[in-house]
Order: sequence, then C-alpha cells, then structure tokens
Amino acid sequence: MSELDLSFVDQAVEQWGRRPEAVIPILQAIQTHYRYLPREALRRVCERTDITPAVITGVSTFYTQFRHRPVGRHMISVCHGTACHVKGAGLVQDALERHLRLDGGEDTDAKGLFTIEKVACLGCCTLAPVVQIDGVTYGHVTPGMVGDVLDDFLHHQKQGPPKHHDARAVPTGEVGEIRVGLGSCCVANGSGKVHHAIWETLTEAGAPAVVKRVGCVGMCHQTPLVELVAPNGSSKLFAKVTAEDVPGIVLKHFKPKGMARRVGYSISRWLNRMLTDETGDPTVRRGIDVRDGPVCAFLGKQQHLATEACGQIDPTDLDEYLRHGGFESLRRCIEELSPEAMIEEVRASGLRGRGGAGFPTGVKWAKVRAAAGDKKYIICNGDEGDPGAFMDRMLLESFPYRIIEGLAIAARAVGADEGVFYIRAEYPLAVKRIAEALAVCEDRGLLGQNVMGSEFGLRLSIMEGAGAFVCGEETALLASIEGRRGMPRLRPPYPAEQGLWGKPTSVNNVETYALVPWIFRHGAEAFARLGTEKSKGTKVFALAGKIRRGGLIEVPMGITIGQIVEDIGGGIAGDKRFKAVQVGGPSGGCVPAEMADTRVDYEALAEVGAIMGSGGLVVLDESDCMVDIARYFLRFTQDQSCGKCTFCRIGTRRMLDILDRICTGEGKSGDLEQLERLAHEIKAGSICGLGGTAPNPVLSTLHYFREEYEAHLQGRCPAGKCAALIDYRVTDDCIGCTLCAQHCPAEAIRITPYVKHTIDLDKCTRCDTCRQVCPTQAILVE
Amino acid sequence: MPKLTIDQREVEVPPGTTILEAARKLHIEIPTLCHREGVAPSTSCLVCMVKISGVNRLVPSCATMAVDGMKIESETEEVHQVRRSALELLLSDHLGDCLAPCYIACPARMDIPLMLRQIAAEDLGAAVATVKNDIALPAVLGRICPAPCEKACRRRPADGAVAICRLKRFVADVDLAGADPYLPECRSDSGRRVAIVGAGPTGLAATYYLRRQGHACTIFDENQQPGGRLRRETTEDQLPRQVLDAEIEQILRLGVELCLDIRVDGKEASDDLQNEFDAILIACGRSAADQAEAWGLDLSSRGIAVEKASYQTGMRRVFAAGGAIRASGLVVRSVADGKEAAVSIDQLLRGQPVTGPKQPFNTKIGRLEAEELLQLTAAAGESPLRDPADGPDAGYAWGEAIEQAARCLHCDCRKLESCKLRKYAALYGADPRRYPAPRRAFHLDRQHAEIIYEPGKCIACGLCVEIAAVASEPLGLTFIGRGFDVRVGVPLDGSLRDALAKVAAECVEACPTAALSRGENTSKEAALREPAV
Repeated sequence: MSELDLSFVDQAVEQWGRRPEAVIPILQAIQTHYRYLPREALRRVCERTDITPAVITGVSTFYTQFRHRPVGRHMISVCHGTACHVKGAGLVQDALERHLRLDGGEDTDAKGLFTIEKVACLGCCTLAPVVQIDGVTYGHVTPGMVGDVLDDFLHHQKQGPPKHHDARAVPTGEVGEIRVGLGSCCVANGSGKVHHAIWETLTEAGAPAVVKRVGCVGMCHQTPLVELVAPNGSSKLFAKVTAEDVPGIVLKHFKPKGMARRVGYSISRWLNRMLTDETGDPTVRRGIDVRDGPVCAFLGKQQHLATEACGQIDPTDLDEYLRHGGFESLRRCIEELSPEAMIEEVRASGLRGRGGAGFPTGVKWAKVRAAAGDKKYIICNGDEGDPGAFMDRMLLESFPYRIIEGLAIAARAVGADEGVFYIRAEYPLAVKRIAEALAVCEDRGLLGQNVMGSEFGLRLSIMEGAGAFVCGEETALLASIEGRRGMPRLRPPYPAEQGLWGKPTSVNNVETYALVPWIFRHGAEAFARLGTEKSKGTKVFALAGKIRRGGLIEVPMGITIGQIVEDIGGGIAGDKRFKAVQVGGPSGGCVPAEMADTRVDYEALAEVGAIMGSGGLVVLDESDCMVDIARYFLRFTQDQSCGKCTFCRIGTRRMLDILDRICTGEGKSGDLEQLERLAHEIKAGSICGLGGTAPNPVLSTLHYFREEYEAHLQGRCPAGKCAALIDYRVTDDCIGCTLCAQHCPAEAIRITPYVKHTIDLDKCTRCDTCRQVCPTQAILVE
Repeated sequence: MPKLTIDQREVEVPPGTTILEAARKLHIEIPTLCHREGVAPSTSCLVCMVKISGVNRLVPSCATMAVDGMKIESETEEVHQVRRSALELLLSDHLGDCLAPCYIACPARMDIPLMLRQIAAEDLGAAVATVKNDIALPAVLGRICPAPCEKACRRRPADGAVAICRLKRFVADVDLAGADPYLPECRSDSGRRVAIVGAGPTGLAATYYLRRQGHACTIFDENQQPGGRLRRETTEDQLPRQVLDAEIEQILRLGVELCLDIRVDGKEASDDLQNEFDAILIACGRSAADQAEAWGLDLSSRGIAVEKASYQTGMRRVFAAGGAIRASGLVVRSVADGKEAAVSIDQLLRGQPVTGPKQPFNTKIGRLEAEELLQLTAAAGESPLRDPADGPDAGYAWGEAIEQAARCLHCDCRKLESCKLRKYAALYGADPRRYPAPRRAFHLDRQHAEIIYEPGKCIACGLCVEIAAVASEPLGLTFIGRGFDVRVGVPLDGSLRDALAKVAAECVEACPTAALSRGENTSKEAALREPAV
C-alpha cells in the first residue's frame, strides 16, 4: 500500500481536540478529506488522542455515514424515503446497478467512477423518486432514465460549476422584490439556476427590483417558485419556473429604465434565441395567483406559526427577522418574566413535543428546572430521520433565527447556559444556516456571555449527526454527543434528571422550539385556542406520495386527514382511488380512506393505530401494496436498530423474514399469527422508542388490510406490486411500435415491428419500464 | 426503605436496589444473561423481564429500581412467554451445536465426544464410566453396530470419520479384560419388582438401568441362554460368544433373577406376572405381537402399540420396547429402547408422571461448508483414520486408540453445562427452531493461546467489551457494526491475543454462552468437560 499522508489527521486533532468526545467530528473531518476512513488514519488518531482503538472502531462502524473502503470518484445516493419507495426507488436502484454492471454486493463500478449507496431519505419527497450524484439532485427518475441521468451528470461535470453572483449594486428608488425559494428541494428542482438567471437578467437589463432568496414556501409541487412583489406590495406567484422563463417574467413586470437599454437587451436576447432555438413563451400558463383555486386551497387551510412569514423573509437576514418581531419574545422573557412564569406560559399554551411522542413541553421544562445541579443543558433535536419527513430541515433552513430564539427561551426557562444543535449530517444547508445564524447572534449580543445585555448567558454549538436514525431517540442522541455509539438506554432516569454528561438536560424537537417565540408574542391563550382539547396549536407536515399537490404544510390541530388530502393536497394524482395515508413513518401506521375523518390530534391518531410522529404524511392509492409498505418501514427500522436489545435487534429481523416470505409468495399459514405475536412482544419488550414502535406499521396494516396479507399467502398481490407475485403481459392492443422492446433493460422483449410483442417472463425483472413507455396501455400487470 | 411485592410476596430493600436484586432476596430466580455483578446493566438480553402490575409495563428487572409500593409479576405465564420469546430470538441467531452430531445420531445417546477426550487424555476409567452410563453392551455393539454416529461425524467429509465404534469397543474390551471390570453403583433396594420378558438386547439393557435404580429384576426368556437375537443373528466371527457372555455376565452381576426356558404365553401367564410384579416390560422381539391379544394389548402396524415417548402400553404398568414395538433392526436401537423404557418404569415405580426420558436441549448448526470445516479440523489431531495394526477386525492397541481419539474435532459445546442460554432455554422450554432463518457463517478464532472465540455463539451482551474496557486493556474488544449485524470483535483488525492480554479468563467466565471458552491447552481438566455452574 502506498504511503498515505497523515498530516491532515494531526490538523483535525488540533481542531477538535484530544478528548474522547471529539471522535465523531474528527472522523467526519477525516472522511471529508480522504473520502473514506483509512485504517492508518484511525490508528494515528488513537496515537494522538485519548480515543481508544475500541472506541474509534465501535463508533466508526456504528454510523452509516462512515465508509471504511475507498469509493468511486462520484457518489450516487439513491433515496429510499417513503415517497421515493412508493414511486419506484427500488426499480431505479436496480436499473442503476444494472447500468453500472454491479454484481451482488459490489457498490462501485469497475472503472471506479461511481459508487452507489442507498440513503434513508434526502427530504425531497415531492420530487420522488430522487437520485443525488455528488450533491446534484435528479428528481422524478425512472428506471429507463438512469443512463441519461449519469450522462447528464458527467456532461455538466466537464462544464464546471456555474458562475458566482453576489455583488450587485442595489437599484435605488421604488423597487420591487423578487423572491426565490431556496430550500433544499427547491434547489434540487432548479431554483438555484432560476435565482442565477434572475440576477443576470436584472443586472443586464437594469430592472428596478432586487432578487431575494427566501426559505421554503411549502408548495413543493410547484417548485421552483418565484414570487414578484411590486413596490406597492401586490404580489404574483410563478410556479415551475425554469431559467429560460426568467427574462420574460422579470422584464414583463419590472420594466428597465430607459428604452435604449431595453432594446439593447431585447436584441441580444433575440439573437440568443435564434442561436439556441428556443421557442414559445411558457410563462403565461405558469403564472398563478394566490386567489387561484388550487393555490387558495393549498394555502387556505394552513396556519403559519412555526413557519410564520414563510416565503417572505430571507433566512439569513437577522434584521429582517427582527422586523418581523424576531427576538421580541426572548427580550420579554429576559426583561419581564421569571423562569417560572415562562414555564407556566408554555404549560398554559398546551404545547406538546413535536418530535412524535407529544410530551407536554412545559412539564419537561419544569422538571429540568427543578432538577438538582447548577449545570444544565439544552438540546435541539434536529436528527430528523423518518423517511418521508423533512419539516425540521425546512424549519432549520428557513427560520434559523426563530429556532435559536426558541432555544434561548427554553434555556432561560430551565436554567441552562449551554446548548447543542444536533443536526443530521445529511442536511448540510441546515447546518450551514444555523452556523451562520449562531455567529451573527453572537456578534449582535443575542447569544454569549450576556444575552441582550442581561445576566443570562448562553453558548450554543452544533453537532452533526453521522447517519443513525436511532439518534433521534433522546438518550441515543446524548450518547452520540458524548462521542459514543448512539445506543439508547433505559429510562428512567430521564435526561431531565440525568442527561448530557449526567447533567439535567432538556431535549426538544426543532418544531417545538419554532413554536415557542410565537407563543410568547401572542400569548398562551392564542395558541391554546387553536386545535383540539388535548392537542393545541399547529402541526407541520410533509405531505407527499400519490397526491396532486405535495409539499410542506402547517395546519391547525384538529383538521381531518381527509381535509388535508382533498382540500390541501387536491386529492389523488391521476385517476386512482385513495387508499390510505401513512402517518408517522416507521413508528406510525396507516389511516385507511374510510377513516379520513380522523382528526390530527395525538390521542385520536393513536386510537386508530397511527401516531402523530414527526410529521410525515404519505398518501397511498390503490396501486400501493400495503404488505409492501409494512415491509418497507420494517426494513427501515430493522436496518436502523442500534442492535442492543434482543427484541429489536433480532425480533424485527424475524418479522422482516416473515414479511419477505409473504411478499415473495412463500408465506405459509400461521405466518400472520406469528407476525402479530412477535409484533406485540417487540412492542412490550423494547426499551426505547425505536423498537417499541417498529411493529406499528405492520400491526396497523394487518388490522386494516388483513385481506391483502391473506391474498399474498395465496400467491396474489392485489395491488400488483410484489415482483415475485406478478407477471407482465402484452394485450392485443399492442400496435407493434417496439418502444417497449427498445426500453427493456433486461432484453426480455424481442423487437417485432408491427407485430404484437411478447415478454419473456424468465428474463423480465418486473421493472415496469415497458408499461410506462407503452403508448397504447397494452401492457398489463397480473 | 422501599417495600414492594413480587408475585404477591412482600420484600423490603434498601433504596437503589434493582427488582432483580429484590427478587433474589425472595429466592425467586429471574433468568439473566447480560447481567453481571459489578458491571453496569446493559439491558441487552431482556430475558430478565418482569411486569409491573397496574401500569402494565414489562421492564428489565436488572436495570429497574425497586420503588415503594411496586407490584411485580415474575412467575406468571405472560412473563414467562416474553422471556421464552427473548430466548427463542437469541437462539434463532445463535450458531452452535450444543451436542455433537455423533451424540445426536447415536440412538443410545452416548456422550461420544467426552469418551473420545477421555481416551485421548488416557483416562480409561472415566471413559468406561461414560460409555456404560448410556450403553449396557458396549463390547457387543463395538463389534456389530453399523455406527450411525460415524456417519454424522463432522470429520467424515474431510478425511474420514473418527473411529468412534472401534474406540468404544477398545474401551469396553480393555475394561472386560481387566481384573475388576466396571460395575455401576446401584441405588439401595426400592422394594419394587419388575418382570422383563425377553433376555435380548432390549431386556438386558433395561435390566441394567432398572438395577441401577434399585429395582428388583426378573428376566423371563424362552431360550436356554440369555442374549436373544444377539445369539440368533450373529456369527461367532462377528461377535465372539466369549465377549457376549462376558458382557451379559456383567449385567447379571448386578443381582438379577434369570428365568430361562420359560415362555410367557397366554392371558393366564400375563395375569400372573401382573399380580406378582409392580411393572412389566415386554422385550421379547417381534413374536410379542402374537401374544398381544391374549395379554389384552393394542397393536399398531409395527407391533405392540405404546406411547412414543414413554413406551407405556394401554395398560399402565405394562411397557414394551425393542423389536416388540418397532421394525428397526438396529441392535443399538434396541439397547436404547431398553434404557429409555427403564426410565419410564422407574418414573412409574416412584410415583412420578410417566413421561420417558427428558430430551436434552440442543441447537444444531447443520451442514458446514468446506472452508468452515477447515477451521474445525485445524486444531484437531492430524493423524489419518487408520485400521488397527492387527487388521480391520482386530481392536486398537493403546497407542492407536489415543491417536485416533485425538482426531475428534470437539464439535460439542465447550460450555455445555455452564452456558446460561442453554440452561434457561431448557428451563423455559424455548424452541430453537421457532424462527427459522439463514444461519451465520461459522468461525472459530484460536488466535489467543488460552481462549477460543466463536462469534457465531455471541449474543452481543457486551460483557466482555465492558470488562476489557474497565480493565484498560490497551486494545480491548468492541462492537463492530450496528443492528442485526453487530458483532463483537477486535478493534482495527487486531488479534484476540492482543485484545485480551489481561482479562481473558474473566471474560470466559462472564460470557453467558460459549462464544468465549477456554482453549484445549489450558489444562487437562478443561479438555474434558467444564464443571456445571
């Protein structure tokens, strides 16, 4: 083996320190540098720090972020989130593996160009299925497209990164504002390019407007979304804008000063068009108005508390946040309220933890406050890992100052002077925004030794997760911050009594913190007026799946599932029948269509076998197989189990074994009973929330869709999803166009022009490509 | 001081006491695997679950503090079911043979590996006791048995099975040739009398074990000499009569009334036996079926109908075994039947439920791949399988026997008696095949001079990891990976030798299974069978 330059390891150690808890940041730095964790580098770390070989091996093999083998030049991440799964991520993964000629077990192609990895969720659920290559996101990928996607990536790779564009003289006088959503999913769908095009157009044409990046608007189904705000405040929304649309939209609304300039622009533009052969003016049909039916419906039932001023403010601009009432609540808490009064306010508001379990926030704070000891910690749990949920990411990216304010209020209430943001490493933009916002706040005296000039001091730092869903469980999260494997421990003692480094600690979810400033600004009563008897305020959901209008929504508690699906989401996309909504991800369950009047309420959802969870809502239609859905979630939790206790480590695997058997037609009588028994025992016998809720998706679907399980036992998949139980057949509607044969990746269809095609079922991989490309719907699944 | 009840029994304990400790105070045995005094509870195995009544929650008793007023359920079916499930899940991912394949294949269930290790250790006295504990006629079987044990021997596909049958013959021959051949200890006279109809292998074996239990035995046989089919179906070449006579004589020396030339025929004879004896064993071979009607017994397609496990016929005090109930021609099967029927008869005579012998708890690996087998053969005796120097029909000489016995691969578990997983699995009636699943790869790590690591048997309790960390082993052990695939291993590709430089013995002792066990070379004693806990 060639000599590896280990001087970087020494630098990383210098930066992060020699104490054992530095292990995760040091490993992250090493991996960023070497792109994997070379053995020699790990040995070097042990030599230079207090980190033992046992710890470094244990930690580096626990978190999925860490790679112990070199990887290809480019990393392909295939999202296997819920929305991607139901829209065929598995088939996309298969197609990529076939395309790269990866044989069983291999993850890197022979040329060492691409390494393929499965990721739990990229949080771009509305673009499903999603594939990310070195940070470039491709949405709505089909198995037939994978070759083009890779070619496109390599093509752009050669062209180099787009131009940078920051400095621009701000026009004077009456100017308008152009807002571009720059949340991760907007960027994934091209809003970066749109932002760039607007900037270019404005600069080139000298139009009287500024372009501003804003956080997530929530209308992910319409991205990239551009909002034009005239100097008088009136605004107009444009959906699905492409870079090519930009000049038309911008120049129509913000006329450049001086005719000459406009003409000059027009001519160059006209010439440009002639050369690039662009046609049509797509902007007209893409203009939408808030008063438009669908937009109105999408936004109408929403209420923005955690996402207050969404789409209006620049996430990175503290002054703008201050103008919107930012940090007023913290000021009031510091200047007017005692910690006890603050806790009472939160208790009176009825706020419950938005991480899933719904523990009353005021009660938790009171416990931490009352706990003995003068050193206390406050933690922001931003380890959002549920596939199909990306609320926390959006809140962190779009409202970093609001979260910081919430955290500061909580810190003052419980008596903490130190806090940690624990954020998934998969959310680089969220990490960046929080880091920047923390620096600004410290600079401006909103954090630090004397917050707002008071005696109250607060130091906040960021810890990046390393790819372990279980770290969303609070005791595992604390173990992770302490530089250990993220293994939950038995509670009690609760973190409120013995948390980080054994000190009383309050761990709250991102969304919980986001609601806190609102409560103090508007009062507990205003908050408590929203919602149901026991579930107050609003809840943010990520609405995805087979829905017409997906996105991020914030709705008042008490709204029904049906209202969310029909009114906000616009019902099922296509002509399929609404079947169920999966609520709460891998810990949750399904609410069947017949029970669509179930209210969004902690207790009401639990009663029907789902949970509030962190907020993933995946809508399913009749083409979704419920056994497959249950298996999907169980596979996820099984994969994410920390491996400590028997019931979770082995029990969930045995449940998955049974589900695998059922889905491949090898189920036998007694399987369902054993599945149920095991599910109940795992629930009863697990010591943490992951294991304790892992069986829920199975129990819920067994309860509402048992006949589907039974059909599988008889060798049938009613939804036509389970590959081992279905066949593809060409009907007499075939016109012999040969499209299916051309696209078949498995060469299972012979090209027979003008003659009805046939599918060789032995070669067929059930990838569904033929059915998708067939122009006459002549391919049937049975 | 907190006062709580466990299974309605009250106990008062100092603050900070766990439920497990409180239960121990009441002498309630809650099973534990990952728990160890002085080590922080890891709540990994979850076989120590108890139920807190009222709140309806199951909690691990090892890590849950006793609280005043708590009501705990421990010995209820619900709690037992959860413990059983935890054990069954652990067993579904626990790769190992408790008992060696040869042991399982032998109808008489003789502890073959132990015998082989005793021979290899040159302890003939112990070897004879092992053999005679389960086989009443080893010198006979050593000559005529088709040796199903050798067909199951793991070494067979590599370079030939261990010569188990010949080695057994060697042990028995040396014993019989000695001045004072082995006689088992018999319990004092029970005052009960058993009639054994038939002096063939079944009847003789039954007699041997019934005498050991202190029951008076009377054998009836229609022939002039005892031995039954052993005399009828073998030639002098196959089974020298002198060997047969000598071995039968050893049984008769235990004090047996032998009534030859008597045919138990018809209802009257049967009635007489029933009046005279406390129990009757019909062991007169296939001809017994002809008498069944007269004796008032039911017939099955194979012979006299009996309960499979207990050999009990429709009449409570009448048992049948061997050729009387089955078509199998193996003598070793008959000998095994006689032994097992004797257990049932003993149960009847002692007023216990008649269930037959208890089956030992066992888990099986199944077939090993060639490369896996290599790891097993690596440390065993290298000699090839050899016939005795005096020819294939002769017995082994001392040196040959020791060399051949050392070929045993020690497939049986190294901690058979001290494995807590096995102990509690047996106690709770756990079924190791409840969750059929693909097995782990078999691996045997002998890098360490004193201990052997079998990762397949590891239940990831973490005790060794913790013990090594507390002892500040420079390298130590760690969990590698996560979730279902988590394994205990040596950090940074190091060797086990370096990982456990200080606390290897403590780790072996703490390990609840045989994932960590003492290696063969530590002591002669360890090479045999470690003591039970």
